[in-house]
Amino acid sequence: MATVSKKAVNVYGATLSRRQFVKAGGALVVGVSLVGPEVLKAGRPRAAMMKNTLDPTLVSSWIEIHPDNTVLIRTGKNDFGQGSTFTAYRQIVAEELSVPFEWITTVVAGDTDRTPDGSGAFDFLGHGTPNIRKAAAYTYQALLDVASERLGVAKDKLRGRDGVVSGAGKSVSYGDLVKEQQLKLTIPVKGELTSIFGLTIEGNPPMKPVSEYTIIGKSYPSSIISSKVAAKETWATDVRLPGMLQARMVHPKTLGSTLVSVGQLDKNKFPNSKVIVKGNLVGVVAPTEWEAIQASQHVAEGTKWTDWKGLPDSAKIYDYLRKEADWTTTPATKSDASKGDVSPVLASAHKKFSATYQLSYMKHAPIGPTMAVADVAPDGTVHIHTHNQNPQALRGEIAMMLGTTPDQVIVHAYPGPGHYGRSNGGNAGAEDEAVILSQAVGKPVRVQWMRADDMQWSTQSPAAFSDVQLAIDEKGKLVGYQVDHYMPAMQDDRPIGAVIAGLPTMPAPEVASKSVTSTVNGIADPWVYGTVPNLMERGHGTFQVGQKASPLAVGIRDHSMRTPGQFQQNFPRELAISEAAALAGVDAIQFRIDNANEERLIGALKAVREASGWDTRPSPRSDARSTGSTPVSGRGVSAMLRSGTYWACVCQIAVNPSTGAIVVEKYTIAVDPGIIVNPAQLKRQVEGGAVMGISHALLEEATFDESGITVEDWSSYPILNMADIPEIKVVLLNNPKVGRYGGGSEAANALAAPAIAAALHDATGKVNRRLPLKAAYVQAALKA
Amino acid sequence: MATILVNGVRLEVQATGDTPLLYVLRNDLQLLGPQFGCGLAQCGACAVLVGGKEARSCVTTLAEAANQEVTTLEGLPARWAKQKGLSAEEAKRTLHPVQEAWIEEQTPQCGFCQNGMMIKATELLESNPNPTIAQIKEAFTTSGPSPNLCRCGTYMAIIDAVRHAAVIMAKGR
Repeated sequence: MATVSKKAVNVYGATLSRRQFVKAGGALVVGVSLVGPEVLKAGRPRAAMMKNTLDPTLVSSWIEIHPDNTVLIRTGKNDFGQGSTFTAYRQIVAEELSVPFEWITTVVAGDTDRTPDGSGAFDFLGHGTPNIRKAAAYTYQALLDVASERLGVAKDKLRGRDGVVSGAGKSVSYGDLVKEQQLKLTIPVKGELTSIFGLTIEGNPPMKPVSEYTIIGKSYPSSIISSKVAAKETWATDVRLPGMLQARMVHPKTLGSTLVSVGQLDKNKFPNSKVIVKGNLVGVVAPTEWEAIQASQHVAEGTKWTDWKGLPDSAKIYDYLRKEADWTTTPATKSDASKGDVSPVLASAHKKFSATYQLSYMKHAPIGPTMAVADVAPDGTVHIHTHNQNPQALRGEIAMMLGTTPDQVIVHAYPGPGHYGRSNGGNAGAEDEAVILSQAVGKPVRVQWMRADDMQWSTQSPAAFSDVQLAIDEKGKLVGYQVDHYMPAMQDDRPIGAVIAGLPTMPAPEVASKSVTSTVNGIADPWVYGTVPNLMERGHGTFQVGQKASPLAVGIRDHSMRTPGQFQQNFPRELAISEAAALAGVDAIQFRIDNANEERLIGALKAVREASGWDTRPSPRSDARSTGSTPVSGRGVSAMLRSGTYWACVCQIAVNPSTGAIVVEKYTIAVDPGIIVNPAQLKRQVEGGAVMGISHALLEEATFDESGITVEDWSSYPILNMADIPEIKVVLLNNPKVGRYGGGSEAANALAAPAIAAALHDATGKVNRRLPLKAAYVQAALKA
Repeated sequence: MATILVNGVRLEVQATGDTPLLYVLRNDLQLLGPQFGCGLAQCGACAVLVGGKEARSCVTTLAEAANQEVTTLEGLPARWAKQKGLSAEEAKRTLHPVQEAWIEEQTPQCGFCQNGMMIKATELLESNPNPTIAQIKEAFTTSGPSPNLCRCGTYMAIIDAVRHAAVIMAKGR
């Protein structure tokens, strides 16, 4: 019955073929084929062809169009509350295909055997959309090719609209086009499936002109919100496999402790529990969760570890980073925007200042501690059920740990607590431990970290400091700006259980590590003040603190967190720019506008000025006060370019000088992402980022002593609660002429800190250049 | 062995009396709305209604809950249906107004905390059908064992949804 196609059709570099006629059903499926140098290298696994990977020849791939006019889309990007895969991605596909939004009934995300492209759950609309958008654009062209043949009308006379191709008085629906035949469109991709960035679609199919958009720009609701709210969604936490055991981990006493002896299990109290030891990794399994918890606590009490004191105390971290950290082994970087010659300008400046800015370690702090279920089968096949942000990369990490190949590992992705970048390089923290325990007991094992495990054994957003020098001329213009950013390696993607167990992992961050896991500190905050003639921006990197001294090679592990690296660089810059404005005697928004030439930045600054009710005047306010117990108010501004989106933010605060307590009263933010795909979704994302940013700015500091992280719960690591949120005003600036979609989930979280710090200066006349702006720190700074 | 009344149904469970209610609900009864967040009554992700009051199931033992009526996220629609005297058929098709509002306001982001947020909202609206913003903030911050924490920062969306739910409830739909 199977009939091979007459002739394959070339669709802008993709290949359309007819696999066979079928009696019922049929579909157009969009598969992938690797192109470029990657396929030529001998011995390298051909990612798209690996077993247990989505095979482009199967009836499952990027996009499927079915005879009943429904459409299925797949993406490797597992949504963590950004909502984009369930709103923006459907809108973008519907727009490029010219089908109603409602036709896209199914979104498959994350699973390594059911999605084609890999990559992390980040930058959905920047790095992410070219794939899904191009897949849809190729598919649209293929539909026109098929319709042209069917209708006998030249392709250039045909047009798709609302799921129907028409031209020259004839028409056919997409569903009818695919009915009773198996059409396969193979599109060219390149990259490495299990790398952090996954596969990327090649070629340039024609895209729908922005002026013809009818779906992008509307606020469609997210389908996954309904299922979560109705308790119908399956979370990673809900996965229960037959015969599955519950497990808790007994993590080492310190970040450098090795196991001396493991505690005995009282078999009378815990008859069904079992202790598993692998290297320095200790886990306890039991049939019930409550027994596993109690038994693991019992074992922990009896377990002996070596002592280790190899960290500087967090109270001394900036001294340590300045004086003892190795900033010479890792080459310094310089921004592309650097220009002119800053030194002579600084030497001869009319007005100048220099200052150092400091940011503490912070936790990603998901509301749920990490967990995973693993099932290692006797034949070596590994199934992992988890809530991580990069299932394909995790697959590679687990294969490396086990000394097997990625095709033996299948990762099933589910919704889980947002953790803001912590697992974008693969593991969320418990998968490797679940695999080790499952392999040991020959049964599926569910590892659930307790709250303290998550606070003390997960990665953190790295501390950083920056030295700024700047110069202002007689006219009050910024004529020279120099910054040296210092930050330890930002991304340790090693699975921690594998490290503790002494199993193979990728190396700890080092100079030569690939891209984001390197110790190299690149410039992550694009310069936006285009008229400044002399600019020098340098980045200095080093190893993770304590990692080399730790017998476990652990130390304070870091990982990118929402607006990674850019947060650490934008806070110094934006607070320094506000200080420069004050030095020049110019209003802080006007000063930014005066030193900028980018229309979109200026637009965002003007929009936030108007929306916040900003009174134009220099800072600090004329009656600024750093003493007394009655609150004094102030306002500050900040700006950023991130992932194609321009942002400007104003915070209005009240500070009690005698206590140092800051209340953010009003937060106003303007955002120009170019084309706004889904306004309601963007607004909610920005509001959330605003709240997280105020929390970062006022409260968050992951403290540690000489042995390990000392925060362990929500009491020692408080985050903002509802009573402390300000009035939040979001101004969306739709800017279709930009022609692309900018991101919206990140940046709002970074903009609060420099704006609040500038507001504190406005209110009190004193500058606090260290984050967080905890009451005790602010109180001390105001007294100084 | 203990007996527990959950979402209007009396059930027997094997767990010991000292087992935290959370694990009984999730593992023995497959009621997966409540989530494990901290085990310390510090966040609210595991919240349920016990006798109409928000309680943290991670620190409430099975024995403590055994003689009281427990409502989980899964039980909110039936709770509303009973309060409104809806027929069994209508009850199956409905969500609690709090859930409807949570969807209409597109409140959750990752959603992991939102079980507790919806439980807290239900508790609040059953005692105060038209709360002010200050009362909403008070409810979600100081009325329980700890503030109900959201890491994604959806507090604005929660406030919008509580006010929206109040409107729906007033209409009685």
